[in-house]
Amino acid sequence: MKLSLQSLLNVEGNGYGLLNVRIFGWILYGLTRRGILVPSQILAQMIRIGVQALPMASLVALSVGFILAMQSSTELGKLGADSFIPDLVSLSLMRELGPLLIAIIVVGRSGSAVAAEIGTMKVNEEIEALRVMAIPPIRYLVIPRYIALMIMLPCLTIFGNCIGLAGGWAVCAGTLGMSTSFYIMHAVQRPEVWDLYSGLIKSVVFAHILITIACYQGLNVEGGAEGVGRATTASVVYSILWIIIADALLTGLFYFVL
Amino acid sequence: MNSAKPKPTPPGEVILEVKDLVQIYGKRPVLNGISFQVRKGETFVIMGGSGCGKTTLLRNLIGAQRPTSGSIHLFGEDITKISPQDLDRIRLRFGMNFQFGALFQSMTVGENIALPLQEHSQVDPSLIEMVVKMKLELVGLTGFENFKPTELSGGMRKRVGLARALALDPELVFSDEPTSGLDPVMTAVVDQLTLDSTRKIGVTAVVVSHDMTSCFRIATRLLMLGSGPRQGEVVAEGTPEEMKINPDPFLQQFLRGEADGPIPFRLSQDDYLKHLLGDG
Ligand SMILES: Nc1ncnc2c1ncn2[C@@H]1O[C@H](COP(=O)(O)OP(=O)(O)OP(=O)(O)O)[C@@H](O)[C@H]1O
Ligand SMILES: [Mg+2]
Repeated sequence: MKLSLQSLLNVEGNGYGLLNVRIFGWILYGLTRRGILVPSQILAQMIRIGVQALPMASLVALSVGFILAMQSSTELGKLGADSFIPDLVSLSLMRELGPLLIAIIVVGRSGSAVAAEIGTMKVNEEIEALRVMAIPPIRYLVIPRYIALMIMLPCLTIFGNCIGLAGGWAVCAGTLGMSTSFYIMHAVQRPEVWDLYSGLIKSVVFAHILITIACYQGLNVEGGAEGVGRATTASVVYSILWIIIADALLTGLFYFVL
Repeated sequence: MNSAKPKPTPPGEVILEVKDLVQIYGKRPVLNGISFQVRKGETFVIMGGSGCGKTTLLRNLIGAQRPTSGSIHLFGEDITKISPQDLDRIRLRFGMNFQFGALFQSMTVGENIALPLQEHSQVDPSLIEMVVKMKLELVGLTGFENFKPTELSGGMRKRVGLARALALDPELVFSDEPTSGLDPVMTAVVDQLTLDSTRKIGVTAVVVSHDMTSCFRIATRLLMLGSGPRQGEVVAEGTPEEMKINPDPFLQQFLRGEADGPIPFRLSQDDYLKHLLGDG
């Protein structure tokens, strides 16, 4: 079992599919052996690509909370259904906007950074140097970033949802005169557990998409600094594209098929 | 990663054997049927003009790229046919000093040298720290552990690259122009380092260089790669004494460093005019 797994990890080639296979292979292998999944490396990446995205994510989430509350108050107000604003804010955040917008922020903030960093290493022959030292670049560079993001993006999403709810509250309490307890009761009671989970499943899928695309683009840079620039742009564009497509598919799956 | 240490090659045995190596880029053969052997304990110097394919040859030797054809036996195994796992096993037995250092920019000098030790040996961190200091002392950079590669001069980076290549005390060291960009004193220091590790410890060195003084100071055997009309072939091979008396005009021009001779340094006037007028 170990031997066949190991040879799988070492298959030559650099396609996107193969990168995915290798990542899963290394994680499986790492679960059976010490020294492959290094907690300190993962933690360092969690801080670099997760925690440092916090201020930006908060600002976006807060603004989205404002927007949702204000937009819905104009329409729902006409129907005299102001009391549904908290429900709408919290449902749209949990199911849709929280996971999607936070993922897009992290693509711009961290996905691009990962692509540029790995790409620069490629150009600078550092990836080659790792290989020559018998340190597999996937294990050393990609795995810590992958695991870090798979943990951090859902965390950021939950955090963003809370901030967004606070933004909605500020509008409701500040301009509509809604009581805080009323807002909280509706915002928290209305969503079901599945609403939260479906959003988190989405954010795990988005995390996978964005980090694999960033690493893939970085590892395949050709042609100097210009190539790094191209790869960085490509990683952002393709990540956002595929994240939105995946979102559409998952929303269809969660709310129409299941 | 591997606990079973392979038996070191006994002195005098062939450690590296290259046969009919061909590397074609596009349609241009950069290496065209190169063959040579390196024995344990030798300091084998590869020289040749800029762009003649020295780095390309070295990249083939370390398994960083596959040749178009030909075979490379390293420690008795053909690395052109070997599985990536086995190649990694062999890679633990040699060190590589890249032409441009290839240092990890995000790490300090100390971390760069420590990395192979952390990854491939089970020794504890305090010992690694000590080894790092020893390796830095070897290349004359004591006290630079906490500098980032970007804070060093080009020559200093080269020496860090060499220290990193020596980190695991390999049997064989590949060095791509370890002394270019160094001042004469530092060149002598690095040469002395090569001499010490080869003559005293028995390390085998394969060094690319076009600094003639340095070549003849360290080499036990030399090989010259051709350029221009002789691109891709071995012009001459032998001990320093044999090279000095070899009458080959290519070799002699290179050794004396003269501008006039069979080695072309640019397109001739006619070609240049044609080229300039757009029909060349
Ligand atoms: N990836 C590549 N694709 C196409 N051609 C290449 C590639 N790498 C190198 N070459 C060509 O191969 C030739 C040899 O390059 P190489 O880097 O091996 O030269 P070198 O002998 O190391 O030169 P220098 O002494 O300047 O370092 C050059 O003419 C270069 O243009
Ligand atoms: Mg070179």
